Amino acid sequence: MFKSFLTIIQHEIRVTMRQAFSWITPLLFFVIVVSLFPLAIGPDETLLRKIAPGIIWVAALLAILISIGNLFRTDAEEGYLDLLLLSPHSLTLLVCSKIFSYWFTHCLPLILVSPLLGLLLNLTSHEELTLIITLLLGTPVLCLLGAVGAGLVVGIRGHGLLLPVLIMPLYVPILIFGTGAMMAASLHQPLNGYFAIMGAFLLVSLAFAPLLTGVALRIGVNQ
Amino acid sequence: MNKLIIQDVSFERNNQLLFSGINCSLQSGELLQIIGTNGSGKSTLLRILAGYLEPLSGIISWQDESIFAQDEYQQQLHYLGHQNGIKPYLTVAENCHLYCALTRHNIEIDFALKKMGLSSIKHQQALRLSAGQLRRLALARLLIKSAHLWILDEPTTALDLEGQHLFAELLQQHLKQGGLAILSSHQDLHLPFTQQLRLGRQHV
Repeated sequence: MFKSFLTIIQHEIRVTMRQAFSWITPLLFFVIVVSLFPLAIGPDETLLRKIAPGIIWVAALLAILISIGNLFRTDAEEGYLDLLLLSPHSLTLLVCSKIFSYWFTHCLPLILVSPLLGLLLNLTSHEELTLIITLLLGTPVLCLLGAVGAGLVVGIRGHGLLLPVLIMPLYVPILIFGTGAMMAASLHQPLNGYFAIMGAFLLVSLAFAPLLTGVALRIGVNQ
Repeated sequence: MNKLIIQDVSFERNNQLLFSGINCSLQSGELLQIIGTNGSGKSTLLRILAGYLEPLSGIISWQDESIFAQDEYQQQLHYLGHQNGIKPYLTVAENCHLYCALTRHNIEIDFALKKMGLSSIKHQQALRLSAGQLRRLALARLLIKSAHLWILDEPTTALDLEGQHLFAELLQQHLKQGGLAILSSHQDLHLPFTQQLRLGRQHV
């Protein structure tokens, strides 16, 4: 059974890799949005450093929002979703493997380039490290919550901005704690509490989001 | 002995009755054809029978138990809709491997591809295949996973004559082995239908 999921994840990643624009576009979006701020605000180092956590986090959140709507849309159009629903594997686990593949191809690149962007915004090495850890803990939560939304809108044609409006409010807590941890890092305060709460968000969303996504997909596939 | 019984099934879309009073019973080795004009609800009925949709009223039972009450029902059937369920960015062979992983079946895919005449394009991306070749690939799934019940929505669309013969052969073998099949089509297929169900005005 483990081998089946490995095969499924491997093929999912392969599909995304062969469709290079689908993962490169959100990455470029992220890089461009972040690099626009120093240009717009000017070379004020202290100000940039102060607002850097917010900029990077909001840019990452938007990059995920613009791409996660496609998580199940193409599957539904191709009729692949019908096959997923007939599978003897648990739908929750199948959804998990899809979300993992999405995170691997869309979020991991963001996390890998974020230290470079941190450099652009004048972050210290301690802050850079905190940034990476918060993104590692936070982006899976954004993906899991986004997947529920993507499942809900799967049957709606031309949903456009419906998905962002639907799930953006759910992103607020993780945004607050992600940027909060960065603020604390710049003031050299202890960070364990922030990481613990973000970890808790991750575990709770891991427990419920795939299940809810599965329910949403069963309803949405018939529209 | 497998048995599918459809009792007084009706369905409503946008507050309009699409069909009602559908009754039918199907046993091992039998083939049901669903006929109807465009928009008469053939595909919807097939999706109901495949367990994706619940009917407005009526009972559908498999082995004397409602299909919506048993989890294993959907694992015993093949559903092929208008879309082929093929990932265009994967090759023919990769699509088959993915399907094997999804269904936990691990048979030699080469056999299925050869049977459907797809061996020569095994390593081509599905993106570059014609509509008929994609349909053949979708039908190759029938060979990868063995299922008691086949629910196929216009399976022969886009198939050439040879493909249609291949499909007829597969179907006959399936029925001989005690399988059941439900097909929808609005064209005349030369297949050994044992039952027909007509959807359309008389039901509305």
